[in-house]
Amino acid sequence: MNSLLFLIPISMLLFGVAIVFFIWAVRSGQFDDLDSPPIDLLTDDDDAP
Amino acid sequence: MAPADGQIDLRDCRHCGEPRREGAPPGYCCQGCAAAAAWIDGSGLGAYYRLREGPAPRVEAQADLSAWDRADLQAAWVEAVGAGRRATLAVDGMHCAACAWLIDKALRREAGVLEVRANVLTARVRIDYDPAAVPLSVLVRRIAALGYRPSLPGSPAREAQRRRDRRSMLLRLGIAGLGTMQAMMFSEALYLDTTGSMPIATRDAFRWITALLSAPVVFYAGAPFLHGFWREMQLRSPGMDTLIGSSVLMAWGGSVIETVRDGPQVWFDAAVMFVFFMLIARHFERRARHASASRIDALAGAQPALAWREREGRLEQVPTSELAVGDRLHLHAGQTLPADGLLLDDAADLDEALLTGESRPRRRQPGDLLLAGSVLRSGEVRLQVAAVGAATVLSTMVRRVEAAQQARPPLLDWAEALSRQAVLATLVLAVLVGGWWLVVDPPQAFPIVLAVLVVTCPCALALAVPTALARANGLLAERGALVLSGEALHRLSSIDTVVFDKTGTLTRGQPTLISTITYAGLDAESARRHAVALEAGSHHPLARAFGHGPCPPVEARRSVAGQGIEGRIEGRLWRLGQAGFAVPGQADDDGVWLACEGRAVARFEIDDPIREDAAAVVAALARHHEVHLLSGDAAPRVAAMAALLGLPAAQVQSRCTPEGKCAAIAALQARGRKVLMVGDGINDAAALAAADVSVAMANGAPLALRQADVVLSGERLAGVSELLGIAVAAQRTIRQNLGWSIGYNALALPVAAIGAMSPGWAALGMAASSLLVSANAWRLRSPP
Repeated sequence: MNSLLFLIPISMLLFGVAIVFFIWAVRSGQFDDLDSPPIDLLTDDDDAP
Repeated sequence: MAPADGQIDLRDCRHCGEPRREGAPPGYCCQGCAAAAAWIDGSGLGAYYRLREGPAPRVEAQADLSAWDRADLQAAWVEAVGAGRRATLAVDGMHCAACAWLIDKALRREAGVLEVRANVLTARVRIDYDPAAVPLSVLVRRIAALGYRPSLPGSPAREAQRRRDRRSMLLRLGIAGLGTMQAMMFSEALYLDTTGSMPIATRDAFRWITALLSAPVVFYAGAPFLHGFWREMQLRSPGMDTLIGSSVLMAWGGSVIETVRDGPQVWFDAAVMFVFFMLIARHFERRARHASASRIDALAGAQPALAWREREGRLEQVPTSELAVGDRLHLHAGQTLPADGLLLDDAADLDEALLTGESRPRRRQPGDLLLAGSVLRSGEVRLQVAAVGAATVLSTMVRRVEAAQQARPPLLDWAEALSRQAVLATLVLAVLVGGWWLVVDPPQAFPIVLAVLVVTCPCALALAVPTALARANGLLAERGALVLSGEALHRLSSIDTVVFDKTGTLTRGQPTLISTITYAGLDAESARRHAVALEAGSHHPLARAFGHGPCPPVEARRSVAGQGIEGRIEGRLWRLGQAGFAVPGQADDDGVWLACEGRAVARFEIDDPIREDAAAVVAALARHHEVHLLSGDAAPRVAAMAALLGLPAAQVQSRCTPEGKCAAIAALQARGRKVLMVGDGINDAAALAAADVSVAMANGAPLALRQADVVLSGERLAGVSELLGIAVAAQRTIRQNLGWSIGYNALALPVAAIGAMSPGWAALGMAASSLLVSANAWRLRSPP
């Protein structure tokens, strides 16, 4: 049972990190455009001959 | 496209495909196109001409674009991102991927451009640039120099609001998801302790941790429900939010109380799952509603953000918000008026459909007050601004557009009303059941009431319709069909008759002049110029066949719907149109006749190529539907088309006036048929309105796009049969979903009421039922 004393705080910490990361992702607009990235892959943007 | 008789030189412009003009460089229609093409070739982007699917928009004379650099305009439309700034422009004229490719490449070549994203579907170009290296106006000029027409999208406040809403919804959803997973983990541990062997201290610790983890889910992610609960309480009209809010608060608050007083059970899991799944339901519903809104904004160009102002003899482009009473504005055909103003020039035809609902253009005389939001149908006019901003009728229009976008499908309303009834029934039931158990077995009363509340919550019912609609709209959007009216999908499923317009619908709507025969000594080129003069500003698809160029002035121009156009040139009455109209007594053929004072001057042969997939689509539709063809063209050409499509003569009508098309549709409806009308809206706006469901081709008139139930973008006619297939499939899915959710609630209720189900299991069952309904919606596919 003692392992819980470590594991639970660690899981809470990871939870906090995940939340912060998610908030950052939403705020920085990572989810704003979910439609064009898949199309962008198909159009070749390289100017190389 | 040289004419057979070789009399006129119609060498088309390599860039925009329009005929050459006087004094233009060889191979191009004007200096603008020549410069654009030279730049494209010089920049190594010549591949554009190979990649593109149609001609480019003609390059207009360059105007003063310095307004784009104004700080006041940028403050509203340009946002700071990282080191640079981001501007989102609505760009008209992008038709295919090659256009997006060209704009993307062209902008990336400018110094100071960090990132470009051109989206053909939404008609938006997003530019991230370094304002120190390049002013926005230079980038806008680059786009304009290629022939595209950049403008500012809708209201920036609305776009920003939409983005904020989307982001906060996502945040709530994500936090609910993460929090629910964590809280469930600890709840699970508590559940698995079936023998009660867990030490009390550990159990309490787990309970407190769960309480902590579920708090953000309940109070942050669940805030919309709690707000709704509060609002519904104030209005004393309990709805879904009352049920959700009260169940969630009861479950969470009850659990905290139980934790404090060391009770036998907690229900944090029920609270968090409830919030999470209801948020998913809301998310789907919102997506269904907003999916097409931004694309429609771009298609219809609802609100002009910039206007051309005349000042000291020069034209400048200014934001609409800058306009002041007394300013002089320039407008050309197809533009929406940005402000109310007095007409300074000759009489003009204005389309005020958005304001009055009247689809026929209205003739306004010099000195008349023109209303913002109306669309100039022909020519170029100047007006003196009389009212701006909120004082105009335009602001009313904006509110109307917003109201239309907010309007919910009636089926959703029905499902919601049903859920509301269910909510009331549930609340009453919960009180009754609670009262009974309080008498029989008081400690059991609270969990049983909670279980009843959760299990009977019409979540699956609330999800049943929005998920299916969202899925169907998504499928349709992928195929280039935008559903604008909420009722359309529902009504589409009962359609049994499809009526096609010919020009611009079954054909490409790109008529070309094949040959000219002249009669009265006039040469072919001047005959064409007279035709251009008469058709100037006309939205009839045939007008485009004559091209552009210098032409004599026309007075008292008048168009006779479905027949032709007439006007006075140098005092004489000229008519252009079908044989019987232009030259009385002349037998109708499929040519377009030009006549002066009733004497034939020229006969133009115009052809419009059929869409490649027309025959296949009509054949596929004819298997399950009655297909009709209505056309304003002459009988021989329509018959030829009908033969090509395999339609029986009884289902084909030629020489239909707009009224004729309406009458034909009314006759079908009188026979009890449910009619789907497919048109481009140029000569069939009334028919589109008369039909049970209307589909407009996106290359048609902007006004038809606003009125149509469904807009088909792209060149594919196959969208029509896919639309019908998906509508039927969606209707079936909705029926299945409603059946399941109502059945499940009815079955689970007695089980919960007799105390055979704990709140946790009730929440799990509710979640499973909701997931089943969503999964069923995602199963929805376009029938092969």
